[in-house]
Amino acid sequence: MIPSRRSFLMGAAALSAAVATPDLVRAAQAAAATPDWALATADVETDIAPRALSLVHGRAPAGLEGVLFRNGPARFRRPGGSARHWFDGDGMVRRFAIGDGRAELSARFVDTRKRRQETRLDAMVMPGFGTPGDPRAEIGSPDDANAANTSVLRAGDQLWALWEGGSPVALDPVTLETRDYVTLRPDLRAMPFLAHPRIEPGGRIWNLGMGGDQAIVWRLSPDGALEDASLIPLPRASYVHDFTATERHLVIVLQPWVRERQTMPFADGFAWRPETGTQILVLDKDDLNRRRLYEAEAFGFFHLGDAWMEGGDILFDLALHRDMDFAARGASEVVAGMPLDSEPAHLGLMRLKADGSTELSRLAVIGEFPRSDPARAGLMRRLSVHTTGDHTQTPFAQAIAVTDWSGGQTRRFDFGADHVVDEMVYVAKPGARSESDAWLIGPSLNLTERVTELHVLDIADVEAGPVATWRADVALPAAFHGIWAG
Amino acid sequence: MKALITAAALALTAVPAVAQDAATDITFTFAVGQPTGQVMVALYDSAAAYGGSGAPVRVARVEASGTVISATFEDLPAGDYAMKAFHDVDGDGRMATNPFGMPTEPFAFSNNAVGNMGPAGWDRAHFSAAGSVAQTINLAR
Repeated sequence: MIPSRRSFLMGAAALSAAVATPDLVRAAQAAAATPDWALATADVETDIAPRALSLVHGRAPAGLEGVLFRNGPARFRRPGGSARHWFDGDGMVRRFAIGDGRAELSARFVDTRKRRQETRLDAMVMPGFGTPGDPRAEIGSPDDANAANTSVLRAGDQLWALWEGGSPVALDPVTLETRDYVTLRPDLRAMPFLAHPRIEPGGRIWNLGMGGDQAIVWRLSPDGALEDASLIPLPRASYVHDFTATERHLVIVLQPWVRERQTMPFADGFAWRPETGTQILVLDKDDLNRRRLYEAEAFGFFHLGDAWMEGGDILFDLALHRDMDFAARGASEVVAGMPLDSEPAHLGLMRLKADGSTELSRLAVIGEFPRSDPARAGLMRRLSVHTTGDHTQTPFAQAIAVTDWSGGQTRRFDFGADHVVDEMVYVAKPGARSESDAWLIGPSLNLTERVTELHVLDIADVEAGPVATWRADVALPAAFHGIWAG
Repeated sequence: MKALITAAALALTAVPAVAQDAATDITFTFAVGQPTGQVMVALYDSAAAYGGSGAPVRVARVEASGTVISATFEDLPAGDYAMKAFHDVDGDGRMATNPFGMPTEPFAFSNNAVGNMGPAGWDRAHFSAAGSVAQTINLAR
């Protein structure tokens, strides 16, 4: 049992039953009504062998065939020491396969050097984003601390588990067996590779690796072979978890959370400097030396939507955080089972104007994990899929939504307070003729049944809820990001 | 995480061999991943020298003519030692690094010790030697 404010309150209420005050009774009632969301950052002990999921609602749409791969931390605690931050758990890759009206789930931990060392010591010893680390940790390369826990990428016949401070780790896409760390060129061994590559509709892969006030720009062919790697200078050593791209540009948002010290945990080296605003660096894909720097108001962020052009303007949606307090502090409290008191992220739309100015529209819509049609990546589009939900006590969503940028309206389906809803992916229907001919596919964690569910929704009628829901016989914690392989 | 280990921290400085009057022999057998280039080896007899404020007592350069090669340092006084080595795969005499300064050629320390975001310290890498001592060191990664 994770010590939590909830269990403390319940304990306190029980102990003082004889002198129950209205406040205590209210607190106990509130706690009893709150699902045990600690399951969202619970530990998974072992790999999950392939198993059929049970259809519990609706039926699988005809023509839906493919695999949803997702990655997220699934082991945080060991007897000799525990990770202190949500971002520092061991990556577990989940494989949800849908076909012939049925669904199957398997999941495996990425067999990292980090995990091997920590298994041997029976302690989480690696320093990370928010974990200080233990002196016993043996780290001769960034990849020794690589948790491989953030996302996945298809590269030819391989599936890569992505972190952001080290190399991709190649897996077998069927068995999820770990093959090896990916070195794209011998002289680029152990260079960082973000967990948010931008993939052109034709399959070409762009990515960044961050190194303070410089970055490496990766360009890969659809099969994962290196086409180019270039070093670029940056105007500040900002925290970059994600970037975006149009068909012609790379767009690097440099928030005012800036690395000022080389220290561990990694997040402790950053300082929030809102007075310096946000800078947005735009590079020409054809000539990375051609760059333009925009200035915008200060905001924090992890995630951006795919960008597009309208005339000479560049637009992209994003999940706006008031600051980076969640990264620095909140994600540690969550893994410790403590409710948050921070403001959730809201959706925004950034316009980088041809005249060099910027315009940020803020929507009164809570939103994170924005996704859109991969076939429209970098191109004009209307729709963003994102998580949403009104509660501020956890970073987890309970609803999924579609926002239409042409009219600014958001349609949503709320799974209820007893669900933790993960990021969902956009999957075009076979023969789709418009952007709304698509499904939304993603899991939730059912906190009442204590199992993982897999949902398919129709993007044109998202308010109606899932057209199909399958239920697993296991509960996997919340994950970060995934991809659909049709 | 970005600047874990710099090549400078592992730099091997050549010094003249100093005659010794005892009979301790230390042999390192290196397993390398590919038979190219050379293995550069430096042996230290104090924490201070090993930590960078002094010179190694011996150095060796061994052609990587196979995937298992060895270096022997003979006639040393009995005492505590630690060793640093790297596989100069491309044979240019330098520890290659990636653009962010991380080593890209394999390196190792005596006891196969691994550091904690830096070279393995004397505390992990040193060993006592008297008579003949042999260690097998993995440079194959």
